[in-house]
Amino acid sequence: MPLLQSPSPMAPEPSRGASPRAWILVLALVLGLAVLALTVAGRLASEPAGAALLSLGAISAVVWLSGAPARRLAASVTVEAAPVVGLPAAALMEVAEGLPDPVMVISGYDPGDFAGRQVLFANLAARELFRIPAEAMLLTAVRNPEVLEVVDEALFAGIEGQTFYEAGGVQDRYWNVLAKPLAAGPEGHKRALLVLRDQTDARRNERMRADFLANASHELRTPLASLAGFIDTLRGHAKDDPKARDRFLEIMAAQAWRMARLIEDLMSLSRIELNEHIRPSDTVDLSVAVSDVVDALGPQAQGAGVAFDVHCAGPAAVTGDRDQIVQVAQNLIDNGVKYAGRGGRVRIQLICGLTAAEAVALHNPNGARLSLLTPDHADQLYAAIRVTDSGPGIKRDHLPRLTERFYRVEGQKSGERLGTGLGLAIVKHIMNRHHGGLAVESEEGAGATFVVYFPLTLAVANAAAS
Amino acid sequence: MEHTVKAYGEELKNLTADVVRLGGLAEAQVADSIVSFARRDLNLAQSVIERDDKLDSLEAEIERKAIRLIALRQPVAQDLRHTVAAMKFAMQLERCGDLAKNICKRSLILAEAEPLSPLTRSIERMGNLVTGRLKDVLDAYTSHNLDRAVAVWARDDEVDEHYNSLFRELLTYMMADPRTINSCAHLLFIAKNLERIGDHATNLAEIVYFEITGEELMSERPKGDALQRIL
Ligand SMILES: Nc1ncnc2c1ncn2[C@@H]1O[C@H](COP(=O)(O)OP(=O)(O)OP(=O)(O)O)[C@@H](O)[C@H]1O
Ligand SMILES: [Mg+2]
Repeated sequence: MPLLQSPSPMAPEPSRGASPRAWILVLALVLGLAVLALTVAGRLASEPAGAALLSLGAISAVVWLSGAPARRLAASVTVEAAPVVGLPAAALMEVAEGLPDPVMVISGYDPGDFAGRQVLFANLAARELFRIPAEAMLLTAVRNPEVLEVVDEALFAGIEGQTFYEAGGVQDRYWNVLAKPLAAGPEGHKRALLVLRDQTDARRNERMRADFLANASHELRTPLASLAGFIDTLRGHAKDDPKARDRFLEIMAAQAWRMARLIEDLMSLSRIELNEHIRPSDTVDLSVAVSDVVDALGPQAQGAGVAFDVHCAGPAAVTGDRDQIVQVAQNLIDNGVKYAGRGGRVRIQLICGLTAAEAVALHNPNGARLSLLTPDHADQLYAAIRVTDSGPGIKRDHLPRLTERFYRVEGQKSGERLGTGLGLAIVKHIMNRHHGGLAVESEEGAGATFVVYFPLTLAVANAAAS
Repeated sequence: MEHTVKAYGEELKNLTADVVRLGGLAEAQVADSIVSFARRDLNLAQSVIERDDKLDSLEAEIERKAIRLIALRQPVAQDLRHTVAAMKFAMQLERCGDLAKNICKRSLILAEAEPLSPLTRSIERMGNLVTGRLKDVLDAYTSHNLDRAVAVWARDDEVDEHYNSLFRELLTYMMADPRTINSCAHLLFIAKNLERIGDHATNLAEIVYFEITGEELMSERPKGDALQRIL
């Protein structure tokens, strides 16, 4: 696998207000100092020469982080690094702690002893990413063979190296990893610095663009071809047949409407996917959001002859994006109405204070259930919205594919409106952004239930637990 | 005397470290096999096949170390469980590696035929599910997290749902267009391999449970339908 070059040609230069170079220099200094502070605090080494080298290593690493040519800047930084030794160690520690990029200092003494590779220091970002305490065995943090290899090269061969790391899980992130040798510590323990740079944005941008083009061109081809066909017919033998002309124009209008909706949905999906790794920060009351959607869809349901049955006691505060939560509820309830059909019912429930397992628990013993999205670390309490309809349900074999783009179960009646098959894909990506989950339960011929569940904000979860 | 005790603890730690390294390798093999399949990346498939030796020799080494530890140190209680678990864990991981290698061999053959896009996506989805399970159970092992291990174990049926759904999808394809039968057969085996890796993840979860509690995870898991038994 080819190493990513630094600076990466694909990563767009971040547009910050202040001069990025100045910002970079400050960050570099700060990290250098932070590692220096650690040393001063006596955790890493006792000899001052090692300390100075250590901080230099950190500085050039951060210069790398910023994407600037390391060698040119390193020279100027070397001079400036010295005078700040006077700053209190505790303050510098705090700075290292607060750096947005995961940073670790790793030690090892024997290439053959893998248990002996230790994380001497990990800042908050690193501890969160790898779910480790401040000091740990390296292998409990990372087991990716390529990352371990660059660490080993830095430790034992003194070679600086880069690789690429995919964290895995549903909240997938991509990291560029730099390992840099540091001066040896006491008793000849080798040391290396590991710095990670988040490349998720660049990667997603690239992939989304490709996906969007592929999807759009593929899905638009059919309605476009049919439009072109009707135009030909209208110019040809239907030219003087007003009845046929009206009918064709109606079909053409429907096709055009569908194409517009398709593009709208695709763009909405792309936008959601781009931000999927950025967790929303507002507080939203689910009960209010759901009632709003129920009110808004009321007329449509009435027109379709479908009755609502709402059990939505609030409040249920979650951290979320209100518009997106509304979009989730709307998609699920809209599906319920569409597939319940005339004379059918749609039940909407809001349940607070469930574990993830309780949220997806099977209600109908004859039904099949499948989790379409399971949150990564589901050890908290959730609020669940359940939407149950009295429609035909979904055959078990179709369940795994429901959230696939454009997937529509064949041979289903969905009223006169033909969907785009993007609704549930959108729901899934929104739920992932909220660190929530999505599950479906259905018995063929006896309706379907879709459940989405959101992690409760801490205060609400505590209240619900007591 | 003190020296022996320390060295013993270190030996155990070392054994665990080797298992985690093997876990990292197996995880990468499985993930890469799915990428090589989905993107028709022949070079990646080839390198997965070549890397398999590494897993085999690491597994053999873990077994050797564990047996040596049991013979010379005669560990009891928790230490014995750690040692036995390490050995069992390594065996399961090595098999995951073999299955990944097999997926790559089939990918090499499939790359010469017409791509079957929707089926490829279904397999990729199943593959991601399985990789996720493997990651979760390895996380549970390194962090001694019982809940996470039980969660992996309890969600065992999800892979089966995907497999059954895919199986029907494949049948439909083969019946509609007999020219795809050859490719579909390979796809079917790839899906079967993924399902097996999923089963190994379940076994790994059971081993973690045993290692931590000394008991077996027993209650019956919901199993897939009859289709599976025919195959
Ligand atoms: N409540 C339900 N009952 C039965 N089938 C459903 C239900 N909800 C979804 N489905 C099936 O899942 C498919 C995908 O749903 P999705 O919401 O993604 O698309 P859609 O409803 O067809 O289109 P859109 O939501 O874009 O209008 C549907 O086409 C339908 O076959
Ligand atoms: Mg829909």
